[in-house]
Amino acid sequence: MDKGRISSMQMGMMMYLTIIATAILTVPSITAKYAQKDLWLSPIWASIIGFFTVIIVIQLSKRFPRQTFFQICEHTIGTLATKLLGFLYFTFFLIASGQITRTYAEFIKVFFIKTPVSVIMISMLLLSAFTVIAGIEVIGRVAQFFFPIFIFSVFIIIFLLLPQLEPSNIFPILENGLLPSLKGAIIPQVWFGELFLIVFLLPSLSDSKGMKWGIFTVLLILVTFIITNITVLFILNQNTEFYIYPFLSATQLVNLGDFIESIEPIIIAIWILGTFIKITVFYYVTILTTAQWLKLSDYKPIVWPIGILIVEVSVWGVPNLMVNNHIDITVFPLLFPIMQTFIPLFILGVAMIRKKSKTLEVH
Amino acid sequence: MKWGIFFCVMVIIGTIILYEWKKIKTYPKRDKITFFILLIIAGALSLFDLPNLPGPVTLLETIFRPFGNFMESL
Repeated sequence: MDKGRISSMQMGMMMYLTIIATAILTVPSITAKYAQKDLWLSPIWASIIGFFTVIIVIQLSKRFPRQTFFQICEHTIGTLATKLLGFLYFTFFLIASGQITRTYAEFIKVFFIKTPVSVIMISMLLLSAFTVIAGIEVIGRVAQFFFPIFIFSVFIIIFLLLPQLEPSNIFPILENGLLPSLKGAIIPQVWFGELFLIVFLLPSLSDSKGMKWGIFTVLLILVTFIITNITVLFILNQNTEFYIYPFLSATQLVNLGDFIESIEPIIIAIWILGTFIKITVFYYVTILTTAQWLKLSDYKPIVWPIGILIVEVSVWGVPNLMVNNHIDITVFPLLFPIMQTFIPLFILGVAMIRKKSKTLEVH
Repeated sequence: MKWGIFFCVMVIIGTIILYEWKKIKTYPKRDKITFFILLIIAGALSLFDLPNLPGPVTLLETIFRPFGNFMESL
């Protein structure tokens, strides 16, 4: 469908920005709510889902090389079940894209108080739509271009925060045993599970290093997660859970010799870069799902109609930020693993059993 | 029902059809039908006051209520 080719490294960078961009925005605060001072341990448990998902997806693509996700489903669970699954994934990605765009818009609204949320969302989706129409190759290159800027800015901010850090805030470690940090892992695992999206990128890879870069991406995400969580903990201590955007609040404290201060615009700018990649990747996957599910000859004509639908779904039943955050906690921690880890696992299981029974028949 | 939003969406849909018309003519029937059905759904949804209407997310919330209660009790 998309003739463009990307390298495994570009895929890794796309996924890194897709996951980290929104993760360092809200996750530390939600994690801290459950894990308190052990919030830096939670990403380690959550990353297990990430490794698991990458391995499942890579195993699937090894069994069915160069096949799209729905072609794999058709081979394993049949045409009718695939149509149903296609509808589920279509609505799932629509809701997920809507939710991500909404979260982005609500964050920007903190600074543009009088601008309606829909204007912020439409302006971002317009840009993403042009990128999606340009194809996977362009998305890959944009990600490759933004990746160093993103990493560099995040680490320069942490470097500038060094004088403010209070390493003693980390104690006591594991005050109430392992359980709080495990509870805190329920939210970050949603972000790690998003690595499932590589199943839609693998058919476009120009090399066969998907496995290596997939695992490497999970590791890099894990390291970034731990570093940001520790920074937030060292600065805000046990108050982390009371901030909606803790890393931003921590950044506001940067003060180097009364000269370098108020650098939060930098962090807003890099978040917009990262979220742009995230929205574009999710938008692209939504379009690809629809096109593959309905067996269209090209994905380009449906880019604009789906764009309107994403805006509508993002406000449908979600009147304000409070409801949005509530859904983040009560619905997505279960919905995302089901769609992104357990259904692919089920398909892999069916594929393995069917292969076994086939070899038995041959004998 | 807010007529302003509905007319805005109608204008956007009109622009999309005008913009894509030349290309859409060359595509097979299946693509054309999908394109127009998606636009019709988008247009129909804009008739409602969406933020205060139960939507797919509300449905999911109802399905996952036991899990939501579990998360809130943590």
